Amino acid sequence: MVMNTILEIIIIILLAAIIGLFFLGLSRKIMARIHWRYGPPIAQPVIDIIKLFNQTSMSHGKLFNFGIIFSLSGSVVVLLFLPLGEMCPLSSSGGLLVILYCMLIAPLGLALSGGEAANPITSIGISRKFLLAFGYELPLLLILLTVMTHFNTISIVDIVNMQLQTGWSFQHLPLLLSGIAYILILPAILDLRPFELIQAPQEISSGPMIEYGGKFLALATIQHAFNVFISLSLFTNLFLGGAENPGYFFLKMLIVFIILLFVNAVTPRFRIEQAIKFLWRWPALLAFAGLIIVSVTG
Amino acid sequence: MNLIILLAIAFGGALITYFLGKISQKIRDIFAVFISLALAVIAACFYNVSSREIYYTGFLDFPFVLRVNTFSWFFAVTIAVIGLFSIIFSLNYIRKRGNTDFYYSMMLLVIASMIGIVLSGDLVSFYIFWEIMSWSTFLLISYNRGPAISAGMKYIIMSVTGSVVMLVGIVSLYLHYDTLVYTELSGLLNNASSGYILFIIILFFIAFGVKNAIWPLHVWLPPAHSEAPSPFSSVLSGILIKIGTYGIILLIFVIIQINVFLNLGEGILSVRYIISIIGVITILIPTFIALLQDDAKRLLAWSTIAQAGYIILGIAYGTSESVAGGMFHFFNHAIFKSLLFMVVGAVEYRTNGVRDLNSLGGLIKKMPVTFIGGLIGICGLIGVPLTNGFVSKWLIYKTLILNNSPFLAFAALLGTWGTILYSYKLIHNMFLGQLPEKYEKIKKAPFSMQLPIVILSLAIIFFGIIPGLPLHVINSIESGFGMEPLTINIWGIASDTGTINMLNIFTAVLVIGIMVWLIFKVSKKSTVIGQYDNYAAGTTVPKDKYNYSVNFYDPLCRMISPYLKDFIDDFYMSLARSIKNTGNGIRRIYTGDVGHYVIYIILFLALLIFIQINWELW
Repeated sequence: MVMNTILEIIIIILLAAIIGLFFLGLSRKIMARIHWRYGPPIAQPVIDIIKLFNQTSMSHGKLFNFGIIFSLSGSVVVLLFLPLGEMCPLSSSGGLLVILYCMLIAPLGLALSGGEAANPITSIGISRKFLLAFGYELPLLLILLTVMTHFNTISIVDIVNMQLQTGWSFQHLPLLLSGIAYILILPAILDLRPFELIQAPQEISSGPMIEYGGKFLALATIQHAFNVFISLSLFTNLFLGGAENPGYFFLKMLIVFIILLFVNAVTPRFRIEQAIKFLWRWPALLAFAGLIIVSVTG
Repeated sequence: MNLIILLAIAFGGALITYFLGKISQKIRDIFAVFISLALAVIAACFYNVSSREIYYTGFLDFPFVLRVNTFSWFFAVTIAVIGLFSIIFSLNYIRKRGNTDFYYSMMLLVIASMIGIVLSGDLVSFYIFWEIMSWSTFLLISYNRGPAISAGMKYIIMSVTGSVVMLVGIVSLYLHYDTLVYTELSGLLNNASSGYILFIIILFFIAFGVKNAIWPLHVWLPPAHSEAPSPFSSVLSGILIKIGTYGIILLIFVIIQINVFLNLGEGILSVRYIISIIGVITILIPTFIALLQDDAKRLLAWSTIAQAGYIILGIAYGTSESVAGGMFHFFNHAIFKSLLFMVVGAVEYRTNGVRDLNSLGGLIKKMPVTFIGGLIGICGLIGVPLTNGFVSKWLIYKTLILNNSPFLAFAALLGTWGTILYSYKLIHNMFLGQLPEKYEKIKKAPFSMQLPIVILSLAIIFFGIIPGLPLHVINSIESGFGMEPLTINIWGIASDTGTINMLNIFTAVLVIGIMVWLIFKVSKKSTVIGQYDNYAAGTTVPKDKYNYSVNFYDPLCRMISPYLKDFIDDFYMSLARSIKNTGNGIRRIYTGDVGHYVIYIILFLALLIFIQINWELW
């Protein structure tokens, strides 16, 4: 029993790391191909991480170190709450609300770590991250509440199981609206264009990442990979019926991600206030309509 | 141990402290700490004691009743403990100021009267203690003089209005039922018409709402919290406004009783729903206003209003989970908000009174313990898992979602995301970023300030991992109110509709954290560099100027600030102005000059004679 759980935890973490890093590599490759370049090999992020661990690095103090560790472990903990097929080691310890709150830890850790770096560019990036998060959390909360009210449960495992019986959430009308809203905010959650405001390399030189080098950058990249996995996995679990088997689950995530990459490749970047205005208008309206329908029809 | 002895120690201690200060400051300090420690210990001893004592004083035939049960024990202990920490924090904070005897004596008096309120067993003694608390609070808010005087005036005017309205309610209850003792009153209102119950609820709700700073009765709170001395701010925000919460619980669950309350009105127009909506408004508007603040204490003050909204929402919603969430949030808020005010107070003390968030920065290097306190405090405020705020908020959200009130849940959740923004701003602008040169020589906070900060921080983590302890107490309070208790265990909640187990989450975070730390440790060691060794696009880092803290959330603030004019405050201020103008108008007639009065009398007589001559009316 305990051995099984531990085994599950290790499998999930490894799988998430591999898939997340694969997505990062793939995104660079696809972007390059759309731009008519050859692009780096798909394993480039892994190569980078190995290289970065071997480089010397600069630290700005204890909180600088602690923040990045805190952030990475926060991401990993979220993984354990997300069902991956039958595997969900912490399902009995909390539901969707806990996931929602645990997802806070990662950005908070990065923000604390970046804060001690005492570089205004980092602070600008963090400020933008929180503002953007505030922007997309409004529709996201509406979406999650619609799903939870529709299925009348706060457990994500139950939501996935009910979808296995009644079909994907996308097939129910109010949830269709929420699903569309969710797709509209996914680029913001993943820091992709048109919402690529936080790192914004041409403008604020990678924002919160600016003081990271060596192992810090490596850990931050791993954290980013986990973050990509978590965001896509949450969407897939809530709207695309979760996972009958891991391969199918991966395929669903891949399709969503590639669509997002196509948008990312061809769109320019919003300013932060434009981004918030957009997020609080269209996705929020759709999600709001969905929630009203769900709560009226009960 | 008798309840009257506890109150005698509390009030006597306040008085003796004042005179001891005339002899020696040191003895007075020790005595004040000792009294508040004694209060906390004695109050704690009443755990699981349920007793009621009647002291007949012959005052207008009203009995003077003191009672203790789990409900009042829970509040009394919180009051006494936060009071103790606040007094300890004051030791250094207030030392160099004038009139310290008065300060300590008033501080103990406020604590004593609050304990009196929660221990009183009838509405007359409740009212008497309530007034003592209001007036002594006013004196302490105005302690700093200057702008504090007008802040205190605002507080006392609203407070007195509230308590006069409450007095009307008390008199009305007495006229109807001929008694004011809780145990006799409870159940009597079962048969009353719903119109009368509504009348009583509105009257009491105004009084408690002013104290609890419920929108739209909140306007006194931001100036009062920011102008009061910091240790008293933590008493104000941590426990004093929660006396309003105590009153609301007393009203709904003891005097009116929950089943009567839940049946008042139908659907969206039910009283329960309306108060919940007021609670939600109290969460949302102050959260957004807090984002715009640049004064650390004012930011925390607005945050206090918002958090009080969660408590009201939880209590008014009326399911046993939401009430437990509301009461647990009261307890949690008392801990983390008084901690945060102490953190700001410590910074204020070391920087000679700076609380402007735009001019601080980088203090983490100088005041690490204070920073950790602040960090844990904001984690509790946000409700990051493994801090106490998480469990209480989780309970409220869960019951709102499962009882098909998603819009209330949405507003409450959105408030949390706003909280993240302003609390990170608070921490960032004070402790992170570049350290200005003028603060290079700052020392860490003195021991008497670090001690409460450390203990309260540990309490946040402790009750976050073991929420079962307070929830157990809350459960027995709820069964006292005749509500269905929750199914809890020591690590969290285990019900069919949703469980949390903080131990598992804690273990997961700890194990994974250690593993990441090991990876971090075994990989190449990093060299530590200073704040001027930063990336600055090839130029050297300019001193004192390389910081991003002013207008931290400018894009959002520019968007929302036009909608956030505090029109409630404007309304009260214009009301005050018009009353003043009316008074001035009346003063034109009441000149105080006897000659004028003689003219009035003669004119009036002339009028009478004129009427008589013309119409012969009498």
